[in-house]
Amino acid sequence: MDPKLTVVSQLFERFKAALVRNDFDTSTNLLSQLKVLLTEFRSLPPLFEETPNAVHELTIARDIYEHAVVLSVKTEDQDAFERDFFQLKPYYTDARNRLPSSSQEYPILGLNLLRLLVQNRIAEFHTELELLSSDALENPCIKHAVELEQSFMEGAYNRVLSARQSVPHDTYVYFLDLLAKTVRDEIAGCSEKAYDYFSISDARQMLLFSSDKELLEYIKEEHPEWEIKNDFVFFQKAKESAPCKEIPSLQLINQTLSYARELERIV
Amino acid sequence: MTQDVEMKDHPTPSHSVSSAVPSTLQHLKEIASLIETGSYSKEVRRIARAVRLSIALRKKLTASVVSAFLDYILVPGSEAHSRLTAYVPKEDDHEMEVDTATSALQAPSKHLLPELEIYCYLLMLLFLIDQKRYNEAKACSSASIVRLKNLNRRTVDVLASRLYFYYSYSYELTGDLAEIRGNLLALHRIATLRRDELGQETLLNLLLRNYLHYNLYDQAEKLRSKAPRFEAHSNQQFCRYLFYLGKIRTIQLEYTDAKESLLQAARKAPVAARGFRIQCNKWAILVRLLLGEIPERTIFMQKGMEKALRPYFELTNAVRIGDLELFRNVAEKFSATFSTDRTHNLIVRLRHNVIRTGLRNISISYSRISLADVAQKLRLNSTNPVADAESIVAKAIRDGAIDATLDHASGWMVSKETGDIYSTNEPQIAFNSRIAFCLNMHNEAVRALRFPPNTHKEKESAEKRRERQQQEQELAKHIAEEDDDDF
Repeated sequence: MDPKLTVVSQLFERFKAALVRNDFDTSTNLLSQLKVLLTEFRSLPPLFEETPNAVHELTIARDIYEHAVVLSVKTEDQDAFERDFFQLKPYYTDARNRLPSSSQEYPILGLNLLRLLVQNRIAEFHTELELLSSDALENPCIKHAVELEQSFMEGAYNRVLSARQSVPHDTYVYFLDLLAKTVRDEIAGCSEKAYDYFSISDARQMLLFSSDKELLEYIKEEHPEWEIKNDFVFFQKAKESAPCKEIPSLQLINQTLSYARELERIV
Repeated sequence: MTQDVEMKDHPTPSHSVSSAVPSTLQHLKEIASLIETGSYSKEVRRIARAVRLSIALRKKLTASVVSAFLDYILVPGSEAHSRLTAYVPKEDDHEMEVDTATSALQAPSKHLLPELEIYCYLLMLLFLIDQKRYNEAKACSSASIVRLKNLNRRTVDVLASRLYFYYSYSYELTGDLAEIRGNLLALHRIATLRRDELGQETLLNLLLRNYLHYNLYDQAEKLRSKAPRFEAHSNQQFCRYLFYLGKIRTIQLEYTDAKESLLQAARKAPVAARGFRIQCNKWAILVRLLLGEIPERTIFMQKGMEKALRPYFELTNAVRIGDLELFRNVAEKFSATFSTDRTHNLIVRLRHNVIRTGLRNISISYSRISLADVAQKLRLNSTNPVADAESIVAKAIRDGAIDATLDHASGWMVSKETGDIYSTNEPQIAFNSRIAFCLNMHNEAVRALRFPPNTHKEKESAEKRRERQQQEQELAKHIAEEDDDDF
């Protein structure tokens, strides 16, 4: 076996062990060493040279990046996640014909979809979605993310929250927790417009707080304009667009003059 | 334009001499001389006309005609000649003899122009594609591209852009589009350096097509936004560009812009390009539905499109009624069509609009309704329909889709009285935007008018000539409209 490959696989074993122990400092350290070592393999993207160990090298590189993604989720570092995911992506797309597919592929793709959803990058979410085959869309990990997006768009927020109980993969919990925060803000925004008032206990239930105190703190911080009176929360309605009493004369004059000018040009 | 007359007259004598030769070959020779004059006088328009004329001849091409033409144009024994004739399938000798006889008379005197050589490649490629010999077409087009890279003449550009197109087309037919992506990018770069705008336009479209073929919307958008833009040279290419742009924008949820591009593409496309217009209409319908508009019935009744648009018609109907159950049924019934059209994901997005329309109907018809009834009417089948309905209604209110309030304690939705819209400034604003649209349209139309060059020069030229020119232009337009079989 190629000595470089041996070094990498030994280091990778140590990295995996550290990751299992949740020893994040060591694993981050080892990961950066691994990434440097990977640059020496000429069979990896974007070169894709046909070296004798190409399949082996590609497989191990893909494994390393998959673990890197998992590590970034564990350390809750979204930027690192994005970086690692983009490094991993060519192995799923461009190297598809050179490698047997990975069992981790769909969970990681689903995780990425979830990340885009949490960061509210819906356009990119749909762009990624287009890349998936119909088989992939049937996979529980992907389906989970797709259904979440749908419920989120429709406004069926309780479905989003109940999705946390049915996570297809344990790494998903981190993003779902983040999503719960977004959902709370959304619910608050909707309630403000849709209700005149509701009781504190209802509010607590709807905004998913475990105690009244948390709720009051949240209101104080995020929505100081809400009024609390005798156990009821009152929302300040935005002023309705009142029927127009007077004619906006200046604007009308301007418009009419511009029509005249244009007509002049035509005739 | 005066040269035009000469050019027309020129080939006729030879026609009378060799009346035994099939007329297709004669036509081809005319085209060749058209290219020749075009290249000597550096008039690109003439070459463009030659390309249009040869597209019209496409159906009449046979192996013997093509090989006779090659013998006529190219010096037998030259490298290009031997390379190209290798693609021609062997035929019976009889006809060949006649042709070689005529070519032997004229060929040696010819000095080979690069334009003519490229034109031979183009003709060969058309022939091979029509004969469904795709692998040979691939080989031939690749060889032509290699040759093209070394030619830097503006008069070749028109021919080159057609070659690029068929190059990509032949690879698409065999399903190897991904292979030539790097090559196309390199060609695009070369075209940019040579300021070959038509080539850039064509290649950009081919690249977009290439990316979209593999659903690589991200890459397509990155390329599109960075590629140099200029005024469109070819209507066909511009239509394609608008269509691809519309698709990209739809995927990235910019529905308003997407609608504009798709509708424009559908309008600009020539009438004969039915397949292309159907595609545009399909996407435009979906985008309008996603925007919350209901397309008019006439769109689905356009001539020759009723059948293709049928699934989309039923889909529109489901959205219009706001019935989730019906929507699900339609989506399931035509799922095969939707997945071949690759619009399945868009239809999944539509579910949200169905709910919205349903909700709007409910809000108009009831002044107060319980949330349980809302859930039932919308046919939300979930574990907790009332809670779902409540938050869905809340979001609809916030987004301004309906005007209502919720009462959590009693669990109902109270619709507000719809105010008199004519007491606000709303109608005036709508009226203004329509006037602005019309005026803008007029201005655009004036700007788009094209005036024939040199009109001021030929003051005393006869009425007849002007008439003839008009007829010629009409003919060219007619042919150009037929130039879309590849849409």
